[in-house]
Amino acid sequence: MLFEVQGLSKRFGQIAALSEVNFQVRPGEVLGLIGPNGAGKSTLFECLAGVLPWDSGKMHAALGRTELLFYVPDGIAPWPSQSVGWALDFTCGFLRGKRELREEVIDQLDLRGLLRQPIGTLSKGQRKRALLAIGLLTPQAALLIDEPFEGLDLRQAREIAAALRVHAARGRTLFLSIHQISDAARFCDRFVLLSGGRVCGEGTVAELAALASTSSNDLEEVFLALT
Amino acid sequence: MRSRRPPFLWLLNKECRELIVSRAWWVLLLAMGPLVGVSFISAVRTYGEVSGLNGTSAGVGEALSPLIGVWAPTFSACELAAVFLLPFVAIRLVAGDRQSGALKLELQQGMSTFARITAKGIVLLAGWAVAMLPPVIAIVLWKSYGGTVYAPEVFTLAVGHLLNAGLTIGLAAAMSSFTEHPSTAAILTLSVTVGTWIVNFFGAVQGGWWERAAGYTPAAMVAEFQHGLLRLDTSLVAVLLIVAGLGLSAIWMRLGMTPARRTYESIALCGAAAVGIAACTLLTPSWDLSESRANSFPEADEMALRQIHAPLAIEAHLAPEDPRRLDLEHHALSKLRRVIPAAQVRYVSSTSIGLFEQTRAGYGEIWYNLGGKKSMSRMTTAEGVLEEIYGLAGIKPPVENDEKEFRGHPLAVPAAGAGPIFYAAWPGLVLVCGMFARRRFR
Repeated sequence: MLFEVQGLSKRFGQIAALSEVNFQVRPGEVLGLIGPNGAGKSTLFECLAGVLPWDSGKMHAALGRTELLFYVPDGIAPWPSQSVGWALDFTCGFLRGKRELREEVIDQLDLRGLLRQPIGTLSKGQRKRALLAIGLLTPQAALLIDEPFEGLDLRQAREIAAALRVHAARGRTLFLSIHQISDAARFCDRFVLLSGGRVCGEGTVAELAALASTSSNDLEEVFLALT
Repeated sequence: MRSRRPPFLWLLNKECRELIVSRAWWVLLLAMGPLVGVSFISAVRTYGEVSGLNGTSAGVGEALSPLIGVWAPTFSACELAAVFLLPFVAIRLVAGDRQSGALKLELQQGMSTFARITAKGIVLLAGWAVAMLPPVIAIVLWKSYGGTVYAPEVFTLAVGHLLNAGLTIGLAAAMSSFTEHPSTAAILTLSVTVGTWIVNFFGAVQGGWWERAAGYTPAAMVAEFQHGLLRLDTSLVAVLLIVAGLGLSAIWMRLGMTPARRTYESIALCGAAAVGIAACTLLTPSWDLSESRANSFPEADEMALRQIHAPLAIEAHLAPEDPRRLDLEHHALSKLRRVIPAAQVRYVSSTSIGLFEQTRAGYGEIWYNLGGKKSMSRMTTAEGVLEEIYGLAGIKPPVENDEKEFRGHPLAVPAAGAGPIFYAAWPGLVLVCGMFARRRFR
């Protein structure tokens, strides 16, 4: 087990964004955090990354948070006036990223033509690729990515999935928040199903199907049965 | 393979780049040229007109001090820029990370937010130092006209404006971290600045504690530095306020902390700052670094006053807005406090303007009590005050030494070349550098 979350809860005023969330993350796995919009996926990631305070709960891990995980938020445009190339250098320098992976990641995410482009001028898909590159360069054991395929076309999504697979195969743990269940089913080893701020199930498709008492191996059917 | 450069240097590099690509900073630089230019040209013209009277006669000497005649008005452009332009530069640099989402990435590095805000503070102060180049150009021009520059007083003035800029940066940084949106931060920053002006106004009208508090507002602080006076208490209070502002910003930058904890930490920081400020106000050392000794009695008088060890109490029956009180305070008592810090001064009045108290018996009287011996006078000049104190102390007034009196540095020259430099060359240079740098640092 890389880390375990127990009883994590978070409220925004009267609204319970997360309620008693429990799950485990194993080393080297690709774990999908599945849930509809508003399920609390981003809130959970932000709490785990330490950029949002949680109300109660614990996270058990052998490593400290800064060595354990790095979170790539969705929909941000960090350092909008700076170029993609500078952002990658800054990641290698300030965030202690792996400089030896820089060129490989640039090629994997097709960023070479964008290196001199300011981040603020990138399209949604280009920005997503730049953010993924930043995440992939970071040295932490686990990488939490919020909606990694959001804003990407089918071809780009497949290429990025392949790139992420390469990094997962090298032992990097990937924890991906995905609201498109079909995307998640194609890509992830295990799943944490989140609905209304609660974990409805955790495991492989087969384990979740058993939990839902359904014979279907379709993740969408299992998700609907469990939520 | 990891970078050998420490993360803090990477952060400094990033903040520098962010400053360089910030339009707000280039607008500040652009505006500084004409602002300083108009102040400098007008000051040199007025200085020249006064000098044209061949005035080294009594009373004109002080007016011909370059500090009061040229540098105070020239550097006043910095005060204007610090109030109305610098906050936007600081807000852009501090709030920008939060707005763009970069803060969420950077916070995961684990570096203390205090180190982060220190990096921003250093870069902003460096940015301000660059914005102070037009006044430096004015000094060079003045020298080229044959004017004298007394380095300690110009240095004091520059320190005053640096501290003032620091206060703006601390305030803007705190507001940027408190609020979700930069525009709210800008409104709050300007509101606090206006609030300090209100304190100044109340100080002038009400006197008492308002007057005391007004002595520590940025405008009052700058006014002291403009007269070449370096006060330890004011300087330390300014430094404490800067640190407190940056500290508050660092506390509220920690997005992962609960608001309650951030609030408690902020209260603790404000409490510590308040205690520190209260302690600083007890410090009395000050240095008159003006060439004209505008903030001091003549040296012979200061030596004579230092011989007095009996407790001195002065009770002035003058209203806060009475011009005689301003004369008494600025020309005599402020100088007296520097020599005898233990002197007790009390103002007594029933109204703020004193207009309707003129007929009251005792209004306008200034009572002196030196170790139990009492006397009364109505004179508000430095000479009048000293005469009363010497009389009570039984000290023979020192003989005036005309040779040591500051005679001023008259200079009747036009501000040749200043217009083209400040109105054309500087803005042109800023525009060219701005376009090049914004392209280079992307």
